[in-house]
Formats: sequence, C-alpha cells, structure tokens
Amino acid sequence: MASISVPMPGVQATPRPKLSEYLRWSVHHKIIGVQYMATALFFFLIGGTLAMLIRWELLTPALDFSPTGSAYNSLFTMHATVMIFLWIIPFWAGLGNYIVPLQLGAKDMAFPWLNAFAFWLIIPAGVLMLAGYFVGPPEAGWTSYPPLSVLFSGDGQTLWIISLHILGVSSILGAINFIVTIKNMRPDTMGWFQMPLFAWAQLATALIQILGVPFLAGGLTLLLLDRVAGTAFFDPSRGGDVLVWQNIFWFYSHPAVYVMVLPGMGVLSEVISVHSRKPIFGYKAIAFSSMGIALVGFTVWAHHMFTSLTPELRIPFMVTSFIIAIPTGIKIFSWIATMWGGKIRFNSAMLFSVGFLSQFVIGGITGMMLGAIPVDIQLHDTYFVVSHFHFVLFGGSVFAIYSSIYHWFPKVTGRMLDERLGKIHFYSTYVAFFFTFFPQHLVGMQGMPRRVAEYAPEFQTLNIIISISAFVLGISTFIILFNMVWSIYKGKVAGPNPWRALTLEWQTSSPPPSYNFKGEVVPFEDPYGYGTEASRVYLDEMEKRLTPANLLGKGGAAASPEPMTGD
Amino acid sequence: MENSRYSETFDFERKRQREEALRLKNARTGINLFQGSWIFAFVALIVANLQLRSSSPAWPPLGVEKLEPLLPTIATLGLVASAVFARRGFRALKRDDVRGFLVQWRTALALGVAFVAVMAFEWLTLTPLPEVRLRLANGVETMGVLTQYNAMFRVMTAFHGLHALIIGIYMWNVYRGIAHTTPDSCTLWSVEAGAKLWYFVVIAWMLFYVVLYWL
Amino acid sequence: MNLSTKGGGSGFNPVLIILGGAIVLVGGYLISLLAPSLFPVAASAEAGPIDQLFRVMLFLGGVVFVLVEGLLIISIVRFRARKGETGDGANFNGNVTLEVIWTAIPAIVVVFITLYSYQVWVDIHSPKSDEMIVEVTGQRFVWNFTYTDPLNRLDEFPTQTFSDTVLHTYVGRPVRLKMQTRDVNHAFWVPTMRIKQDLLAGRETEIGFTPTMAGRFRVVCAELCGSGHGGMYSYIQVYATEQEWMERFIDPKVDLVIHPPEDPVVLGEIILKDGMNGRAYPCSGCHTLDILGWTAQTGPSLNGLGDTADRRAQGRGLADAADYIAQSIRHPNAYIVPGYNAGVMPQFGVSETEPETVDGAYYMYMPEEDLVNIVSYLCTQTATGESACGDIDAITAAVETQSQ
Repeated sequence: MASISVPMPGVQATPRPKLSEYLRWSVHHKIIGVQYMATALFFFLIGGTLAMLIRWELLTPALDFSPTGSAYNSLFTMHATVMIFLWIIPFWAGLGNYIVPLQLGAKDMAFPWLNAFAFWLIIPAGVLMLAGYFVGPPEAGWTSYPPLSVLFSGDGQTLWIISLHILGVSSILGAINFIVTIKNMRPDTMGWFQMPLFAWAQLATALIQILGVPFLAGGLTLLLLDRVAGTAFFDPSRGGDVLVWQNIFWFYSHPAVYVMVLPGMGVLSEVISVHSRKPIFGYKAIAFSSMGIALVGFTVWAHHMFTSLTPELRIPFMVTSFIIAIPTGIKIFSWIATMWGGKIRFNSAMLFSVGFLSQFVIGGITGMMLGAIPVDIQLHDTYFVVSHFHFVLFGGSVFAIYSSIYHWFPKVTGRMLDERLGKIHFYSTYVAFFFTFFPQHLVGMQGMPRRVAEYAPEFQTLNIIISISAFVLGISTFIILFNMVWSIYKGKVAGPNPWRALTLEWQTSSPPPSYNFKGEVVPFEDPYGYGTEASRVYLDEMEKRLTPANLLGKGGAAASPEPMTGD
Repeated sequence: MENSRYSETFDFERKRQREEALRLKNARTGINLFQGSWIFAFVALIVANLQLRSSSPAWPPLGVEKLEPLLPTIATLGLVASAVFARRGFRALKRDDVRGFLVQWRTALALGVAFVAVMAFEWLTLTPLPEVRLRLANGVETMGVLTQYNAMFRVMTAFHGLHALIIGIYMWNVYRGIAHTTPDSCTLWSVEAGAKLWYFVVIAWMLFYVVLYWL
Repeated sequence: MNLSTKGGGSGFNPVLIILGGAIVLVGGYLISLLAPSLFPVAASAEAGPIDQLFRVMLFLGGVVFVLVEGLLIISIVRFRARKGETGDGANFNGNVTLEVIWTAIPAIVVVFITLYSYQVWVDIHSPKSDEMIVEVTGQRFVWNFTYTDPLNRLDEFPTQTFSDTVLHTYVGRPVRLKMQTRDVNHAFWVPTMRIKQDLLAGRETEIGFTPTMAGRFRVVCAELCGSGHGGMYSYIQVYATEQEWMERFIDPKVDLVIHPPEDPVVLGEIILKDGMNGRAYPCSGCHTLDILGWTAQTGPSLNGLGDTADRRAQGRGLADAADYIAQSIRHPNAYIVPGYNAGVMPQFGVSETEPETVDGAYYMYMPEEDLVNIVSYLCTQTATGESACGDIDAITAAVETQSQ
C-alpha cells in the first residue's frame, strides 16, 4: 500500500550547515548552489523594485519623476539587465548545482574549485553593475545598441560592459562544469536515457552557453573599445557599421532566452511527473526537443531585427522562428499527457507548474505572431513584445523557479514550506501577473511603443490597470520570501522523501550529508516509473533505509554528522 | 574473514585509481569543451571583420594601405612549427624522455616568443591612417579617418596575442617545473593541457591569418 | 486508463474527439473575431493583408489556446487526487500515434503560416508604380520630411526642396520614404498604416505605403534614441484628393520659396517650424515652446525666452538678449541652464565643414542668415510680445560676434 511518508516531527536527521558556511568560500556544490540561489533572489528584489518604479512612472502619460526621460531609460535598462543576468540565469545555475549531482548520484560537480570560482565572480560583477548608478547609469536598454550606447549613455555603460564580461566568464565556466559532470559522472547503471530530464535540460542549457556566450564577449569587447579607446567599429562616420553589433548581440541573446527557459522546462518535467504520480510522457521526445530547441535557437536571431535587417535577408529567420514552435509544442503536449490519467496533488509546486503551462502557451502563441514578418512590422518595439517576453520569462521561467522552490525546498532545508501561504502566493501571483501583462498586448497593438515614459493619453486607462496589478504582483513576492525564511526555522520536518519521488536526490536525507549518499548509490531503473509495483517496493525500501534511526544511530558515517565544509 | 582486510586495501586502491582516471577524464573533457567554446570569441571578431568588410565600399577602405603579408606569413609558419614541437615534447614526456621534452619545448617556446615579437612589431608599425573627405549623416562634410581596417587588425592580433602570452607563460612555468623536479602524473597532465591549449592558440591564429591576409 | 483510449472513460471515443475538435475550432474562431478591433483603424493598403494575416494567426493561436487550456482544465478536474487518495496514476509513458499527430499537425500549420506570411510580405514590400518619394530625416527628437516640387516650378531657384515636420500626402498615391538619421538609430512607425522601419546610422533605409483613408495619423519613434524618445512623434496628414494636397500643402510651400517673406521674425518662425531652403533644425525635439506647439523637455523651455535671455545676458556680461540666444545656439556648452546636462545639444556652427573641436553633442551647419532670423523670432518671445533685442542690425551684429 503506497503512502506518503510522514516525517517524524521534531527530528531533523542531518543538521543543516550553519549560516556562516554560506558566507564564505566553499567548493562544495550544495553550499555553492544555495549561494547562487540566495544571491539571485537578492537581485530579483532589486530588479523588481526597478519594475515598480517603471510602473509608477507609467501611471500618467507625462514625464513624472524626471524632467527628461533619461532617468526612466536607465530604469528599464537596469531592470532587464539585472533580471536576466543576475536573477534568472544565476538561479538556474544554482539550482542545477545543487540538484544535478544528487540526481546523478555523484559526490560533487566535476570541477569543485571552478564551481566556487564561477559563483564568486557574480559578486563583483553585480557590484560593478549597480555601481553604474554612481557615475551615470547606462540608458541604452539592455540591448545597448550603438550609436546610442556609445554616444549618449552614462559612464555606467562602461561598467555595465565589464560586468557582463565577468558574468560571461562565470557562465562559461559553469556550463563546462555541467556538461562534464553530466557526461562523465553518472553511475554505470544510469545511461543517457535513464537520466532525469532536469539534467537533460541543464545539459542543453550549458551547450547553448558555451557556444553563445563567447560571441557576446567578442561583441562587448568591440563596444568597450568604441567607448573608451576611440575606435569606430560602430561609428558609420568613420567606417563602422551599427548592424555588426545587432547581429553579434542577438546571436547570443536569442539563445540566452532558451538558457532562461530550458531549466524551467526541466523543472516542469520533474514536478509534473512526481505530483501527478505518473511517468513523464514522451521522455525521449522531451529530451530531444530540449536539444533541438538549443540547436535551432542559434538560427533565429535576426527575428529581433525584422525592421532593421536588409529586407531580402529577413525571410530565412521567419522560417527558423516558426520551426522552433514545433519542439516547444511537443513539450507542452507531453506534459499535459503526463497529467492525463494521473492522481494529481495540487500542492504549490504543482500549481506553479500548471501555471507555467497556462501562461507559457500564451507567450508561445504571441511569439509565433511576432515571427511573421508582416505582423512583426507592426508589433516590433511595442508593448506587445514586452508582454510576449514577460509571459514566457515571468509566466514561464519565474513560475518554474517558484515551482522548483516549493518542490526542492524540503530537500535543501529539511523543512516543508507552508502550504497555505504557498496557495495564497500562487493565486495572488497568477491573477496579478495576468492583469499586469495581458493588457500590454492591447496597448502595444493600439500604438504604444516600448521604452517610453511619455505616451499618448488614450493609453492611460490600461496603463493604470497594469501598474496597479504590478504593484500587487510585487507585494505577492514577499509571501514566498517570508514563507522561506519562516519555514527554515518553523516548518514541518520534511524527511528524506516527502513527495515519494523516484529520482536519486530523494533517496538520501534532507538535507543530504556532505558526501551526498551513504553507501552505494542505487538508482531506480526508471526515474519516472510511477504506478508500478517495482516502484512501490523501491520507495518502501528506501524509506526503511533512510529512517532517522538508521541515519542517526547505527548506520555508520551519519552517526556524527559533520558540517559541509569545503575541502 | 581473513581476506577481508586485504580486499579492503585492494578495493581502496582500485577506488583511488578509478577516481584518478575520472579526474583525468573530466579534465580532458573540460579542456576540449573550453576550447570548443572559446574559439567562438575569435569567430565573433571574424564575423565583425567580415561584416565591416561587406558594408565598406572598398576593402581596405580608401586611402588605407593593405597589410603586408610577408613577415606575418613567416611568423605563422614558425607558430605552426612550434605546435609540432610542443606535441613532440608531450610525446617525449609520455615516453619518460625528460631531456627530449625539455629540448622540444624550449624550441616551441622560442618559436612562440618569436611569433609574438613579430606580430607586436607589425602592430606597432602600422602605417598611420590618412584623412579623407567624409560626408557625415548630419549633412556635414568633414575630413576624417576611416579606422575600421586598422582597428580590426589591432583588436584581432592583440586579442590573439594576449592568449598566446598567457598560455605561453603557463607552458613556460610547466617547463621550468619539469626542468627542476622529477615529473609525475600530475605534471604529465599539465604538459598535455599546455600542449592542447597551445594548439588552440595556433588554430585560432590560422583563422585570423586567413581572414586578415588572404581574404 | 491508457492514453490510447483518450477522450473517454473506456475505449477510443471518436464522438468525443470530434466534439472536442469542434469546440476547439469554434473557440479559436470566436477569439479571432476580436482581431479587427484590437488594432487601430486601418488606413493604408498594406494594413488589409497584414490585419488579415493577423486574424488568421489569432484564429490558430485561439485554437491552440482553447485546446491547451481546455485540456489543462479537464486534467485538473478529472485527475485530481481525491481526499485520502495516496496511490499512483496509470503507468504509461508514450503513445507513438499521438506523438506523431502532435508533431505533424504543428509542422503542417507551420508550413502553411510560413507560405502565407511570405506571400503577404512580398505583397506589401514590393515597390509600387508611380511612387512619391519623400525624404525622411530622423534626429533626436524630431521628424522632418523633405519634398521636391512635383511641378518643378522651383527649377530656377537655389533649392528645389522644401520641408515640413508633418508628412503630407493624399489618398491612393503610393509613397516611398527614404530615411536617414542624423545621429543614433530611430524607427519610423505609423500604427494605423502598419508600417515600421528602422533608421540606421550610416545607411539609408526605405519603406513604402499607400494611404487609403483621409485624416491625421500619428507617427511614433519606435527605437530607443535617448531621453526624448517618448516625445518623438509626428503625424501623417492625408488629404482626400491630389488637388487638395496641391492646394493646401504644395502651393503654399512653393510660394514661400518663390516669394520668401521679408520680415526676419516671420522667417525665423518658418525656419523653426519646418525648415527652409533645404535646411531644417531639430529644436522642437528638445524644447517646449507653447506658441509653436512644442512640448519636449530634454532642454530648457523657450517660453518667454526673450525676457529670460535679457536677464541672463546681463548676468553673464553679454551685450544683450540677442547675444545670449546666439551664443546658446552657436556654443551650447558655454552655459548650461541649471538642472540640464552638457553635451546633449548639438552645436549649430557657421562653417559648412565640421570644425576640429565640436562645442556640443555633435555638429550641424547653420548659416548666419538662418541664425539671424531665428534670433529675431525668439527675441519676440516675451510677456508683452515686443522684441527684447535691438533692431535687425543689432541682431546681425550679435550673430556675427557669436559666429567667430
């Protein structure tokens, strides 16, 4: 008879690392993972504050809190840059760092020192990025097109460039670590197609990064030289060409959006399967479609340039942009088919994953519309685009991040998050998100361009609705933050496997000991093999092995639990 | 059982060897991935070069002198030779021929230094650009300088030269280490890594060389 | 329950599949009906095919939307674990038929939409016959449109072009815009005409359209160009007939070239508003001047400039208001009004070629006669309407001094 294991109240089998361990250099992947995620959450709050300021300015059609639009321009420049490079991308790196070695039954990542180094690069990069505010923040958008970014942007633009260089190095090193870990450090019994899909997603993401980020580095170098060394790569009056930047930038930055969404799709595969108590539908299709998206993602970049690229060259990019809808659709249908016939537990993790599905499909539809050149001519650089990418990046990636937090918080901290607060968080976020971003399609179609603090008066009503919803969305963020802090100390003890999940990270204590697994690692033959007698037997056996008694007392190494120090 | 203690140490030794092999395998995969990735930074500069070239009415632009290929070609041949010597040195060390390794790597490093010196010379002795009549976008006519040809050359060679220097210094340190102490398995890996990185430097330069001097 | 029996409680139920399909298609269709009203009025020949394409995409998107959300809702309701249920779901993990279907159908839709979009693109992009060419200049933060006289009446005159800050044309005539930017990238967007094209530094870009409706239609800048980006807009004035266009727009403009006014104040106003003799200046892009309808705020307001200039001239040891105004234009960085930034205003200099050092964001040529007229006009921006400066000779002298 299957049952959800009930943690023994008050007994935390393995102690958590002390707070001080997270504040210093450690080469241990679980510490580094939490460091990444906590840092990312901090920057999420900064980016979110900037968003609140943006929406406050947009309550009226006139310029409100600055006599010129410059201050506003720097708001959305920093908002986007912080959210992309200091929140979503590092968060996924951190979650992957924590979970992937566990899912592969490994003791750590392939290169522990490099892992720590890649994380600690984020701190000076983030400081440098924000330091721009003291010398005149960048105001050319996160896309930083020259000549504007060379001629008319604050000195902070130079710091922005250097900061991105540093973040790029961090990304490349992290990506190499993931690929080598996934390729070389699986147990002998875990072939490529017995690996959890979250690992596949991280693999595809890492492959995108190692191919794309160096491109950005090259482009950033040229932009930096134009700003500080008097070169003229992007100055047409001295022989330069502004389209060079656009091509190089977007060649990286389009695949970058898949870097932001693919790990989230990996999370969905895990969460939906576990909480529907069903095998993932179409494992190979999902794995291959992740790799397909990664590959095709490198061929679509100029769909961001449909109004600037030479007209004759635009067609191929429309073709590739449409093609990428196919693997995406396969995933969505596969996840729904996973839910179909299941016994779904609608806890917060599952709610946010379902929320992802329902919002991401809208983002995918509007993405297809933008892929058609004649339609994009009307919609490019309008609020329609802003809406589209927030649907896929917030309704998609951030919802997946929330889902992953609800799902894996018990593993990382040994405590459950409060379910009631989780549901309040979900419903308030879902509704506020929808009313913040859906009307943006409408103002965009009606004629409101993006990146403006002044707009035509007829758009004000919708903008007020959007702004108020945005404020609610901002406030709702604090629900999960409070939940996390509170639950660390007061949450119900989770036990090793509160979800009765089959992947390896759940077959050890919560949190895992510093060496991750006691004894030999025994993965189940199918990480998604729910609904079989064999899976029930496996889970019961694991439950017996991982009782607090076994972990604390006669069990060997866990008898004197040691803190996770780096070594 | 009496055998248990023996089998314990035997197991421990096997485990250690397996972990050692895994570390080496990881390091090899890691370096390969790094090279496969970082070459794209060079490719980005090539793409910039090609695009600037195609949007310029003439290449080199009006009044700018074409790069002289003779000396750089000789230097390139020297660089390719240095890669051959680096490989021979690595092979020698694998055979435990330390003296052979030292000789080959000395040659490789000397050729590398020569290459960097020649390219630095080319860098510093570029003909200054002439002022030509330009028509700016704001309708104004002015005398100006078309910098993109020379600037692209400078950025590409400096970017490459930086890599050559850094990796060359790494190889020099490895060389010195082996010259003074007996090499072990760790140093063998550092030689392998150094050689591989040096091949990367050479291949990156081949790409740049073709774009700068042949196309 | 096996997914090969999807759609029903037991067995493969074709009725439910067809019913579900019908609901999805109808739902998509109903959503697509929203299409015309989501866009502003369609005022060009290009808008028709684009709106139709969008409607089709909205239909397809609506179908996907109803399908996915519908299936989600059904799953949530039907397959929810009831209270106390702790078991697992059914153990199936694939169904080749289904996977082929949901790969093949999107692929077919993708092929269809690609071909359809391509056809619309070729249609709207191809050059039309008998296009009227208008040169567009984008500059921080103002649009300027330059015309040549269609009847060549200006052949004898030093300039055959005239400009305006509004684009004037008439119904039914294809227009081809040849666009250049004077500084950074901009984008020319007319939402009602569904056309948008970037202006790229160092290049000339083009776009064509044919108005089908008379009226006044907004033009918006759609590429971030700096602090005044949101205020960089203009209009397309479409007349009902060619004759009306000639009478109300072309003839007065040609007349101005043939018989320019003598009064420097009037000339100054014309130069500031629309430009003259082939030269136009971007003052309206950054300054507020109520009387001319300027609302930009990147630079200081010009309301009451005559009085302000008088005060500031005294405070700064300049001869009179004319000196101050002329200096502000010839050497914008000489004095920055508190609260504003240096290096934003271009330098309007006296030489036709760019000087060695530019005392402003960048350099533009402004001949002395233009500056004299502009100063004369701005001098009259006083509380009383009387000029704050001396007579024309005094102004000319002031301009000469500042033009050294």
